[in-house]
Amino acid sequence: MNRPEIDRFSTVSSSFLSRAITPDRLITGVAFAFFLAILVFFLLYPVVDICRLSFLKEGKLTFENYVAYFSSPRIFRSFTNSIYVSIVTMIITTVTAFFFAYGLTRTTIPGKGIFYTISTLPLIAPTIIQALALILLFGRNGLITRYLLGTDWNIYGATGIIIGECLYCFPNALFILYTTLSAVDTRMDEAAQSLGASALKTFYKVTLPSAKYGIASAAALTFNLTITDFGIPVVIGGNYSVLATEIVSQVFGLQRFDLGATISVILLVPSIGAFAINYYLTRKSYALISGQARPFLQPSRPLKKWGFTLYCGLICLSILIVFATVFLGSFVKTWPYDFSLTLKHFDFPSLGAHAPLWTNFWTSVLPESTFRTMISYKYAPIWTSLLVSIVVAIAGASLTLLAGYIIEKKKPKGEQVLYTLSVLPAAIPGVVMGLGYVLAFNKPYFFIYGTIWIIIINIVICNFTLGVLTSIANLKQIDKSVEEAAVSLGAGPISTFTRVVFPLSRVAFFSTATFFFMRAMTTISAVIFLISATIKLAAIEIIFLDVDGRTASANAMCTVVVVIVVGALLVMRLATGRSALSGMVSSR
Amino acid sequence: MSRNLRLENLTKRYGTLTAVDRVNLEIEEGEFICFLGPSGCGKTTVLRMITGFETVTEGKVLFNGKVINHLIPQKREFGIVFQSYALFPNMTVEENIAFGLRMRKMNTQVIAKRVDQMLDLVGLRDWRKLFPAQLSGGQQQRVALVRALAPDPQVLLLDEPLSALDAKIRLRLRAEVKRLQQELKKTMIYVTHDQEEALSIADRVVVMEKGQFRQVGKPIDIYKCPSSDFVADFVGTSNFFKGLRTDDRVQTEQWEFTVAQAGSSYRGKVVLAIRPEKIEVFRPGEPTPHLVLSNLIPGKIDVVTFLGAAVRLVVNMDGEEVISDVIEKVFEQRGFKQGDDILLYFPPESFLVYPEGEGMA
Repeated sequence: MNRPEIDRFSTVSSSFLSRAITPDRLITGVAFAFFLAILVFFLLYPVVDICRLSFLKEGKLTFENYVAYFSSPRIFRSFTNSIYVSIVTMIITTVTAFFFAYGLTRTTIPGKGIFYTISTLPLIAPTIIQALALILLFGRNGLITRYLLGTDWNIYGATGIIIGECLYCFPNALFILYTTLSAVDTRMDEAAQSLGASALKTFYKVTLPSAKYGIASAAALTFNLTITDFGIPVVIGGNYSVLATEIVSQVFGLQRFDLGATISVILLVPSIGAFAINYYLTRKSYALISGQARPFLQPSRPLKKWGFTLYCGLICLSILIVFATVFLGSFVKTWPYDFSLTLKHFDFPSLGAHAPLWTNFWTSVLPESTFRTMISYKYAPIWTSLLVSIVVAIAGASLTLLAGYIIEKKKPKGEQVLYTLSVLPAAIPGVVMGLGYVLAFNKPYFFIYGTIWIIIINIVICNFTLGVLTSIANLKQIDKSVEEAAVSLGAGPISTFTRVVFPLSRVAFFSTATFFFMRAMTTISAVIFLISATIKLAAIEIIFLDVDGRTASANAMCTVVVVIVVGALLVMRLATGRSALSGMVSSR
Repeated sequence: MSRNLRLENLTKRYGTLTAVDRVNLEIEEGEFICFLGPSGCGKTTVLRMITGFETVTEGKVLFNGKVINHLIPQKREFGIVFQSYALFPNMTVEENIAFGLRMRKMNTQVIAKRVDQMLDLVGLRDWRKLFPAQLSGGQQQRVALVRALAPDPQVLLLDEPLSALDAKIRLRLRAEVKRLQQELKKTMIYVTHDQEEALSIADRVVVMEKGQFRQVGKPIDIYKCPSSDFVADFVGTSNFFKGLRTDDRVQTEQWEFTVAQAGSSYRGKVVLAIRPEKIEVFRPGEPTPHLVLSNLIPGKIDVVTFLGAAVRLVVNMDGEEVISDVIEKVFEQRGFKQGDDILLYFPPESFLVYPEGEGMA
């Protein structure tokens, strides 16, 4: 650029300041600074604090912690265990999900809609539900192992974790593969077959290569989800320790914050790596999507058709069995011996939590009775969860919509930094974030620590990625000139946003809000570090009840959580006229 | 002082790329100006600098004698009509039209009256409760037009408003825009790449190329006296010949044409341009009295295309393709057909002479 020439036009440079501070730029600047500040403070700072703790001992840089970790075979095993479990899960899930997606997109099997809906069910429950169901069926007192087969074998350990993770990761992998396969032009398959390739050859030479990015990205995502998950291994892992559970046990069991931090850093490496691969490949695979209309699918041959129907049916059946088992387990007297129905498991053992608003309300409304005690005290964690979830839903959806708007439409200088920070949370394991929060914010002057607000902030930040990506995807569809039209008609930046941009983002907003609500109701890994003796959450209680040996009550609590999430989904569906799950981008 | 709009040395650069290069123009109140040029010539960028959506790198935009470079778009009170209509999909027709009035916090009754008036202006009273998605493209652009007009803007800017519409509707709407402009006497700046549209609608046309104004003038002047071979080529159709001029002779590779002494004074390397309808067509052997014989050249009809009122002949003249338009009636009488040998006559006074430069030919 030719700077000196600009200076000759004195009018331009003298009024440069007045140009710089338009209301629009002012608001954009303030919002940009705000998002940058919260992401740096609530995302980067805790992570940096963990790294600091893992490398420092008495103020000096040291690798002592790492040496301790790698030289203690008992602890180091968690690393190899994690990698083993994640790789096996990754392979099984990717292959099964691929054929499921293939069945839904490339064959003419009946009941595709039902299959798809059932396959998304694992998203609405805490991850522990898979583990709870597997224990009920194959545990020491498992219905199948003990009762039907009378064997001593049980599922605790690696097998249980792998099966549980497969069930949990399935919908996530399926989303990506379904999108990939429905986007690749089936006419390529037809062209190959018309040129004389056999069906099997077509599959190997055309279908599979054209979906390769999608497959790799689904695999990377599965790996990331499995290695970062805490709920399933803690319940079903038994003595089989993985990185995520090792962090928690080092911190809670042994008060070794430094080792916890060290393992966190070790866990960060594969998880960020897998996330980066997934992110990069997802972009690549979406670039292959052609906007062309796809021709009508030819009817599949009977063998293929019924084969795939059976296959998809079996997978859906196993997902349904998980839910049915846990539901049933919460209503029967003594699984698996006495199947008479009861509600007694819903009278949770006293949890000692308190939620002033809730407790005071019910105490004043209900007459003194055991029922009052149950509702006003024992149900307090559920109430807290609900409250947290509602606040998270509203705050999360609003903030991510706004952040997406700043990134996509306003593009201020440094917009890339904000984007990177917004995408980063999905790469960081929940357990690490939780520990980071403890290290960074457990200080007397940090007044919101120990309140529900730190939990709310944590959940919003941990799930920021998907909200922002959904918001950006939606805003990309709004023509730039629509906003310019509003501005040219005299609307300021705020009116433009409230009257034009927001109404056009309504569906995305509700879908993101639903997502945040679901995550808040079901999340375990991060918030397990942030709950306290007085503030408890329903999803965490499931673990504590289970660890306490009160499996039936754990099932009951899980059922309550699922019912609340389903209720919220129904409300959202009634409010927006569409399924909230359908509007979501598939990158967790 | 009248409410005129002035561009002074207006320049826009993106890094090292100059999109608009020191353009100057004075637009009178009530004038209908068209920016015409091929895509990427910078015409939309000029428009966006006038609206305030694009910052000015150098130079000034003046309205009413005041520099408005730094005024934010909503303070400029210029109406804009976009190529993509840019209607608010979440609002009905009348809500769309009322939007600008609401933003000005006018009272409800005034708004209602104004909306009615606007709907009548484009005959969309019955459609007022519908949403944009329920309207046809033409109707949507009509709504966009009156939405921009409703707050009574000082200037109306239209950015290729008709190019998303199909041919028939485009013609109808073009006439409607012209009618509205004449009725409301509103200053309008209209951007298009369609030369026919520009010539038929504007009081003055600005032909743009590579970020510069090549010619500014009335449509008829631009067509008849294009100032450069680029304009001659871009506006309407022209045949071009390169050659060397000495006095009234131009020596091309194959022929020596006689050009009229009057008119252009370029000597040396020149480009000759001639409009297809200026070329006369004869059958071999026909009497050709009073013609300059050097400008009478044999050829063979390669392609015949009916344009409606005229017929376009593509004539192979010793390997060179020449386009000649003949009135349909004449074509019929003479019974020309593909493959016929004919004589083409290039009247000396019909040649436009340009210096050979960076132009198209």
